[in-house]
Amino acid sequence: MTTLTACSTLPDLLAAPRPAEWGPLRMAAEAAMETQELPTTHHEDWKYTDLKDLRETHFAAGRHRPVDIKDRILPEARGTRLVFVNGHFDPHHSNVSALPPGVRMLRLASASEAACCLGTLASPQANDLFANLNTARFTDGAFLFVPKNVRLEPVLHVLFVSDQEGDEPTCSLPRLLVVAERGAELNLVEEYWGRGRTLTNAVTEVLIHEGAALTHERIQRESPEAIHLSNLNARVERSGRYASRTITLGARLSRQNPHVVLADEETELTLDGLALLDDQQLADTHSLIDHTKPNGTTRQLHKAIVDGKSRAVFNGKIYVRPGAQKTDAQQQSRSLLLSQDAQVDTKPELEIFADDVKCAHGAAVGQLDPEELFYLQSRGLNETTARNLLTYGFAADLLARIPIASLRKQLRHAVMARTHSQDLESMA
Amino acid sequence: MLSIRNLSAAINGNEILKGINLEIKAGEVHAIMGPNGSGKSTLGKVLAGHPAFEVTGGEVLFEGKNLFELAPDERARAGVFLGFQHPIEVPGVSNASFLRLAYNKKAEAEGRDELDPLEFDDFIQEKIKGVKMDSAFLDRSLNEGFSGGEKKRNEILQMSVLQPKMAILDELDSGLDIDALRVLGEAVNLQKSPERALLMITHFPRILETVHPDHVHVLWAGRIVKSGGIDLAMELEERGYDWLKAEAGRA
Repeated sequence: MTTLTACSTLPDLLAAPRPAEWGPLRMAAEAAMETQELPTTHHEDWKYTDLKDLRETHFAAGRHRPVDIKDRILPEARGTRLVFVNGHFDPHHSNVSALPPGVRMLRLASASEAACCLGTLASPQANDLFANLNTARFTDGAFLFVPKNVRLEPVLHVLFVSDQEGDEPTCSLPRLLVVAERGAELNLVEEYWGRGRTLTNAVTEVLIHEGAALTHERIQRESPEAIHLSNLNARVERSGRYASRTITLGARLSRQNPHVVLADEETELTLDGLALLDDQQLADTHSLIDHTKPNGTTRQLHKAIVDGKSRAVFNGKIYVRPGAQKTDAQQQSRSLLLSQDAQVDTKPELEIFADDVKCAHGAAVGQLDPEELFYLQSRGLNETTARNLLTYGFAADLLARIPIASLRKQLRHAVMARTHSQDLESMA
Repeated sequence: MLSIRNLSAAINGNEILKGINLEIKAGEVHAIMGPNGSGKSTLGKVLAGHPAFEVTGGEVLFEGKNLFELAPDERARAGVFLGFQHPIEVPGVSNASFLRLAYNKKAEAEGRDELDPLEFDDFIQEKIKGVKMDSAFLDRSLNEGFSGGEKKRNEILQMSVLQPKMAILDELDSGLDIDALRVLGEAVNLQKSPERALLMITHFPRILETVHPDHVHVLWAGRIVKSGGIDLAMELEERGYDWLKAEAGRA
């Protein structure tokens, strides 16, 4: 068995002294790591995703560096933004001057009130090796707290930059904890962006209390050489509403593990994903949605567009526990194959232990619809333009659900550029 | 403008059109009528270049040029327009961006100036009045979630944006109530001009009460079995198609 400490991927990071805060939690995570094997493609959960590059690269612990984030600024979050570079707080670009009273948005390292919640969802016993590595070794991160019945107007934006330093590949361990108290409502953008050869191993914990609502845009636009690993652990209490969209544009290899527990009755979950891949990119999503109580609703739509030699993997588990009657869960996986050499592996896994539920899933992998192509051609668009436009539309359909105008526009432009549909540019 | 000469076409090896002859001049309105399955919609799709159909015989000249040498988008840019019986929904692409893209591709092909979004907005606001469409439809995804009537309105809007020389409108009346049909018919009439030809494909004569045809042709089993004026359409309204089937059977 190869553990992480036994391979040379992160020698200096693991040799450094453990950060002082959250000592017992970190010790538990480290202990768990020692029993956890570095996954290979022989592990069912990592069958399609080979971590060879990660195993064979030496990543130096990332340090803070000056970065230019002007293209990442969202006007809706001008005074409600936290920025981290290689896992370290960036005071220059962070600005929380527009936070309403009572709302907290600060670095974990100085957030003593986060102590009670951190690690309760991403607990060392339940989580995988990479989440535990993050728990054991993260240096800093963001803590967001919206108090009871506050409906937050400004968007909260947390930007994690992974930036290679010198010739040496760089590792960072971003951490995010979000607490929405009873009846609170907020829009959050969690964004990953970077340059060069980097390993980002992120953990996000989200607690949605009774009647609270969170829309959570998770944007991954790291460099085409990056490795991005992400664990999301969310818990939704009674009548809570959680809408999470993960948009994957970057990284050579990325892995998303969203794990949402619908812990009480009348919860509503939307868990969407979009991966736009080309060249040698691989994006793997293993989601787990756990309905534990009655009357919960899930809508999951996962889309992938694969071109070049890229590969998309989707494995979507939905559990419906014995007590979770009247669960209404729908899962859809739709993929567009644009090249002969691209590949999609998609697998829904519904495990239903209640008898009065409405659960449906579907998976479609295909090419562009010839009737749609003909329609656009009959309006004078040549075949290439028509194909690009339909590909753009396949992705933009999901982007239209993003409630933040500037982010929606930014992502539409990114998708236009990727689908060579700049002809549409100024209309977005 | 359009000369169809002994045209035959097949889909999956089944011959649907079996020798069609039709001459359409600029400024004329022609109607093709016929029972279900007679090949009406196939004719429209073959002229527009639908890839599922194979031309098995004959030729079609559009302004003297062989239409079948052109790809569907080249035909569109040359001035052929097909209004679809069942317009396609394209999620994620806004109606306005699509219309502007289509307009600019044609303008580019004709060496005219392209319109930027602001100029196009002025242009399109004028056009949507002609089809009495709510401008909210411009921001929605192309045809997505549109009712049958709204889709047809959008087809005529596209026609008025693209200003084709030859417009083929396939079953414009299907899915429309009487009032919507009259509004759309009037919108089509606004598009009539001495330089433009219209081919109305319809099962029911009602649309022809608003859009008056100069010539009416009846298609039966892949052939035009009878041609006449508006009185032929009225006769079909009264008597249905069965008497023609009998005539065609004897022929």
